[in-house]
Amino acid sequence: MTIAFEPWMYVAVLPEILLVVLTLVVLGLDLALPEERRGGLGWLTAGGLTAIILVGFAVAMPAGEPRLMWGGMLRHDWLGFAFKLTALFAAAATSLLSMDLAQVGKRGEYYLLLLASTLGMMLMGSAADLVMLYLAIETTSIPLYVLAGFLTRDDKSTEAGFKYLLFGAMTSAVMLYGFSLLYGFTGSTNLYELASLAQAGQLSLASVFGSLLLVLVGFAFKISAVPLQFWAPDVYEGAPTPVAGFLSTASKAAGFAVLVRVLMAVFPGIQPYWGAVISALAVATMTLGNFFALSQKNIKRLLAYSSIAHAGYALIGVAAISMPGSTLGATSVVFYLITYVVTNLAAFGAVAAVGRVTGSDEIASYAGLSRRSPWLALVLLVALLSLSGMPPFGGFVVKFAVFAAAVEVNLIWLAVIGVLNSIIGLYYYLTVLKVVYLYRSEEEDKPMPVPGGYALGLLVLCVGILLIGTLFAPWFSFSSGAAAALF
Amino acid sequence: MTALQIIFLITAVITLGAAAMVVITRNLVHAALWLIMTFFGISVLYVLLNAGFLAVAQVVIYIGAISILMIFAIMLTRRVQQDFGPQTNAAWPWALVIAAALFGGLIWIFSGWGNFFTQAPVMGERADPLRQLGMALVSPEQYVIPFEVASVMLTAALIGAIMVAWERK
Amino acid sequence: MLIEYLPIAILLVISTGLAALIVWIGNTFGPRRPTLRKSLPYESGMNPIGPGTRRMPVRFYLVAVLFILFDIEVVFFLPWAIVFRQLGLFGLIEMFVFIFILLVGYVYAWKKGALEWE
Repeated sequence: MTIAFEPWMYVAVLPEILLVVLTLVVLGLDLALPEERRGGLGWLTAGGLTAIILVGFAVAMPAGEPRLMWGGMLRHDWLGFAFKLTALFAAAATSLLSMDLAQVGKRGEYYLLLLASTLGMMLMGSAADLVMLYLAIETTSIPLYVLAGFLTRDDKSTEAGFKYLLFGAMTSAVMLYGFSLLYGFTGSTNLYELASLAQAGQLSLASVFGSLLLVLVGFAFKISAVPLQFWAPDVYEGAPTPVAGFLSTASKAAGFAVLVRVLMAVFPGIQPYWGAVISALAVATMTLGNFFALSQKNIKRLLAYSSIAHAGYALIGVAAISMPGSTLGATSVVFYLITYVVTNLAAFGAVAAVGRVTGSDEIASYAGLSRRSPWLALVLLVALLSLSGMPPFGGFVVKFAVFAAAVEVNLIWLAVIGVLNSIIGLYYYLTVLKVVYLYRSEEEDKPMPVPGGYALGLLVLCVGILLIGTLFAPWFSFSSGAAAALF
Repeated sequence: MTALQIIFLITAVITLGAAAMVVITRNLVHAALWLIMTFFGISVLYVLLNAGFLAVAQVVIYIGAISILMIFAIMLTRRVQQDFGPQTNAAWPWALVIAAALFGGLIWIFSGWGNFFTQAPVMGERADPLRQLGMALVSPEQYVIPFEVASVMLTAALIGAIMVAWERK
Repeated sequence: MLIEYLPIAILLVISTGLAALIVWIGNTFGPRRPTLRKSLPYESGMNPIGPGTRRMPVRFYLVAVLFILFDIEVVFFLPWAIVFRQLGLFGLIEMFVFIFILLVGYVYAWKKGALEWE
């Protein structure tokens, strides 16, 4: 298969090109500016990313039929575009939330690694070739390993980076082995060529299912699905808080993008099989995540288990895709992830803003927060209620969409388990809010300063949550466009 | 048996034996040296597959650079070259079960593949894989995007390594 | 074809055989009268003050990592250099972009002092 080169392909990857340019500018400024003047790097990164999002909307929006480009390495379609913008948005929010953090916010390396990782995520969303896919996953992961261990003087952060590296390297080796099997069996690395070979019956069931399992190991690690979820709490706890937020949102969303694309493209012939696998993963992931979250004392660990549970909810949507006649499945997954990214970034942002003043991530230290900083408490309220799936916040609409997708294809039992899990989830989110709003503390008359970056970032995120929850129609059509172009 | 098969068998035995020694030997530095042997065997396998460039890359990158890094990394650790203490922990039976299951699974996967005994097509005399690779790497109809992304990844890795290992003044 | 690799194979066999032969000759024919002093590691005539293997500074690791990265870069150059003339301007520009991005990393390493050995 050869795909002729045409000039429009430059425009289609313009956001990626601009991102590389931004990365180089940030690094150059880091080298050129004296240390005390590097505070503006965070604003530059956030502003640059916002500009790239706007450019993406202006020129790189896919129109018409999805097309393979750059020799079949990338696919220009809505799925890729939606996840590209999500990754850019998450990176912009993360840089806003981290620029006032000591030992992090004024260092060019931090933004450089963040941007390099974002580039990987953008390519993960649109990669249509195993070579490109693997490279994109590694470009995402390697900077994230370093970011998780960014506070080299802090033992917990170092441990987080190291654990993430070890598990990440191992699972990506297994996944790469799965890729090599796929290539060995078919002689092709292009996902869509693989798909046509699989549909033509060129592949035996054993070889497809076996390589699917190996590939799933890598993807399950990225989205922190059971049984590869165990790294998440330790890594989120040790990593700098904005990095933990970035890991739990953008990295997870990119993992889902890859999962959905590969499952739908390469393995459509064995849909019932992977449907069963994904359903089982969804149930295990939700239930385990929620049950472990109940007993957490540290808010970052709690959010880590909650993010595992949310991967489970999103997997319900993926399981729905596997059933014949699903119209809502893919839409609901994309929609769920966009909302989840916005919501969880707000939660981690609030945790970072509180943590930089109190120096603690224990839930007990949140006592009296509503008096120290009513606005931060409100952000936490919005984020946690949206995570638990309460109306009128975004989380409600998307949970509804995912469960509806399951019911539509008669996976009613899966939807019921999902609803039961949401009720468990509600309990621990409310426990945190109880501490925030009802408990008193001795320090409650000391106000908590919220620097400009946090204020702007959290404001944007909260408005996003409310917009999704109330005016969800435009978002819904955005995501259904993404899902419709999958095939 | 053809000469090629004999060379392959000898290489395979040496490679597998060296790989086993990597896990069996008690001295970490020796394990790293056995690993070099394994890498070398793999590069011979690449030669047998007519992938000369890959063989060279294997020697230059894996033997020349990565094993050096490993030996340095071993020498960085606190208990350098101490070769006492148990080599397994309490979970070894589980590890054995999982390894056996994985191996069985792989056999099962390969059993479904019908092309085991088909002869690979012989490359023509005029075929030049290296030239093709050079063209493919920078061709917009092939691998130019991964090629450029690789440079970003390498730069990020470079900066990450300096970040982690370099003490700031 | 594979016959092209014959010189390498011969070289390998000769060098391995020669090394083994030399060790064997030394072991078999050399006179050996060990004393305690002769068996000690050679430390320029001083008494050894500790084991021969000790922890090395992290700087070695950094040098090795930098070496790997530039090694990979060089490996990428080789196939490109062979077809350099056929590729024309586009190939040249692509390679310049590749080198430029890596060069930025190199400048970073230089400026941060990672290439210095104090």
